Amino acid sequence: MRTGDYKQSYGELVALIDSPPVWLWSAVLLLALIAAPHLLNSYALSFLMIILITVTGALGLNILTGYTGLISLGHVGFLVTGAYAYAVLVSKYHMPPLVGFLGAGVVPALASLIVGAPSLRLKGLYLAITTLAFSFIINTVILEMRWLTNGARGIQVQRPEILSISFDGDAAFTYLCLGIAGLTLFATLNIRRSRVGRAFVAIRDNDTAARVMGINLHAYKLFAFVTSAFITGIAGALYGIYLSFVSVEGFPFLLSIEALAILIVGGLGSALGAVLGTVLIVLLPEATRLVFSLFSAQMDATFTTGAQELKSMLYGLVIILFLRFQPRGLVGAWHDIKRTWVHWPLRY
Amino acid sequence: MIKHLAAAALLLTTACLAIGPAAAADPGITDTEILIGDVEPLTGPPALLGVAASIGHKIAIAEANAAGGINGRKIKYVLEDDGYVTARTIQGVKKVIDVDKVFAMIGISGSGQSIAVMPVLEKSGIPTVIDVAPVKFLWEPPRKNVFVVGQSYEEGIIHLVNFLADKNPGKKWGLITQDDDYGITVRDGFDSVVKAKKLNVVYSGNYKKGQQDFSSDMLQLKDSGTEVFLAGGIIAENIAMMKELEKLSIKPVTGIFWPGRIEPVLKLMGPAGDGIYAVDYVEPFAGAAGKAFLEKAKPLVSEAELKGINRYTMTGYAAAKVLISAIERCGKQPTWACTIAELEKTKNVETGVMAPISFGPGVRFSNQKLQIMQADTATLSFKPVD
Repeated sequence: MRTGDYKQSYGELVALIDSPPVWLWSAVLLLALIAAPHLLNSYALSFLMIILITVTGALGLNILTGYTGLISLGHVGFLVTGAYAYAVLVSKYHMPPLVGFLGAGVVPALASLIVGAPSLRLKGLYLAITTLAFSFIINTVILEMRWLTNGARGIQVQRPEILSISFDGDAAFTYLCLGIAGLTLFATLNIRRSRVGRAFVAIRDNDTAARVMGINLHAYKLFAFVTSAFITGIAGALYGIYLSFVSVEGFPFLLSIEALAILIVGGLGSALGAVLGTVLIVLLPEATRLVFSLFSAQMDATFTTGAQELKSMLYGLVIILFLRFQPRGLVGAWHDIKRTWVHWPLRY
Repeated sequence: MIKHLAAAALLLTTACLAIGPAAAADPGITDTEILIGDVEPLTGPPALLGVAASIGHKIAIAEANAAGGINGRKIKYVLEDDGYVTARTIQGVKKVIDVDKVFAMIGISGSGQSIAVMPVLEKSGIPTVIDVAPVKFLWEPPRKNVFVVGQSYEEGIIHLVNFLADKNPGKKWGLITQDDDYGITVRDGFDSVVKAKKLNVVYSGNYKKGQQDFSSDMLQLKDSGTEVFLAGGIIAENIAMMKELEKLSIKPVTGIFWPGRIEPVLKLMGPAGDGIYAVDYVEPFAGAAGKAFLEKAKPLVSEAELKGINRYTMTGYAAAKVLISAIERCGKQPTWACTIAELEKTKNVETGVMAPISFGPGVRFSNQKLQIMQADTATLSFKPVD
């Protein structure tokens, strides 16, 4: 008797959703997400908003770092560029929010060409440092272009109204974030299974071999940069709307590191990994606080008044534990669980 | 019989109307407790500010509780750390409002953070008194439920530069500011006096936030022949600038702004900080009011908290006093509407740590009186000079 999940054709191998149970669980998750804004209080809903915005940004970074293997330490630069592009177009020049979102994608995508072009010959640590420098340059440019960006004063951003639908309320804004995160997930999953996605992965695995196979390294690397920056810029616009105030201070460098941590914890190169990593990293401190608060009120108080130090420690600890015991991240752990479930009591 | 029934019905209706609001009372209030929430940076570098402000809130609350609480209800303080990260300030405020269900808010982190949470506060309608970062956006336009205790940065700088200009006529001026919102505000205030008093500005610098090395900036300042210097840093930057000037053996008349007017700064500056001028709207600890406040605080806070007291403790204390007194004036059944109305009626409330506080119809900013003080490194204190 055959056991396990076998693929017998190329079509099955690249299918977006490959089995009925996955369809079912995806539908259940979607229904739960649609119901959530009406069931959760404003505090819990803020976590859902942050998760959806972060998922969008993490999926953007995943195209560059996860799929193509180009490490970026400067993605916060694209995030802040997207936020400012939206804020300037919508709040300052009173353009429709849809134009704002388009600008939030296009402006960072154009900026990515500037940083991407000189980075084509760079790999690993050298590329990481180049992108890091880019994020600092972007901040300086924003601060200096006061006539456009208000400099350090920042720009107020209202919740948008798109096609006569107001996204002013938290529930409505969550749906907007959900829609964009869903579209991004769908798009990145499709990129991964397309010819372009396979080229990205080939470059990641061995760029010399990829070139020998006829892949234009420069074009695909630039495309990875542009796509990644476009998606990250959209996430930046959502984040700016969530904050209701766009300033360089609202986008600290640490966000770039958190995004990388999300990919590592979730599983590099996997869209599902980016989603799982985001959920874990965003909810970890709150979940830990809730668990400890069951034991002692003192512990709860420590978590609220020393929250940021404890959160940093938790992030660090989780990353170390994942790198040591499950370097393939949550996705790797999930695959192991599935395999164990199918083959039990056999080991393989 | 009918009369009795009518009277009973009337009594019942009146009771329902009277008790109704209490039954559907605003959150954060029970028969024995009133919850007050706060979100501050309690970790990271700005913790110096957030911790001190929260100690001020605790002192006012402990003082009120020692006197029997608010009309018999003890005040409970719910404090959340945001690490000075805007997204976490928003989450923190949502947590204390939605999960802890506080009755009123106080404090609220830094300027960018309080600007970002303004839509949340406005939408919730919760009575709020902000005391940490008085920036114009918080009271212009006035929001129904948000009150700000303090003075604007622009007014502070104008007061300081006017004082120094009058005291040092015809001198050469130098200025250095940070490349952020705070720095722009300092520069705007300075520029408005430059025009009015026709000051001779020979050096005007701008430094990047987080900069530690001011050797080249101070060398340029020396070369420019600056005689009166406005150090527009916050804490560490002002210390670094003064140390650099000491190395260069020059000592211009120096003015600093209130975010850095805290006693540990003088200790770190050493002799270089002696005689520098500062502007503030809270009393210096070296004065009678400051000493009285410290004496009051001693039995109410722990040893560690006592060491964390600085000027922000006074701003926090004053804001908490104003809020508590407004809730108290609402009597046995305080509501949000009543508290907001009473906050609006606040007139010359004495706190002992700054000039009396007042608000009014459409006036949500207390607009505190300013004073100039001078550093004395021998006693590590600031003393009033005007």
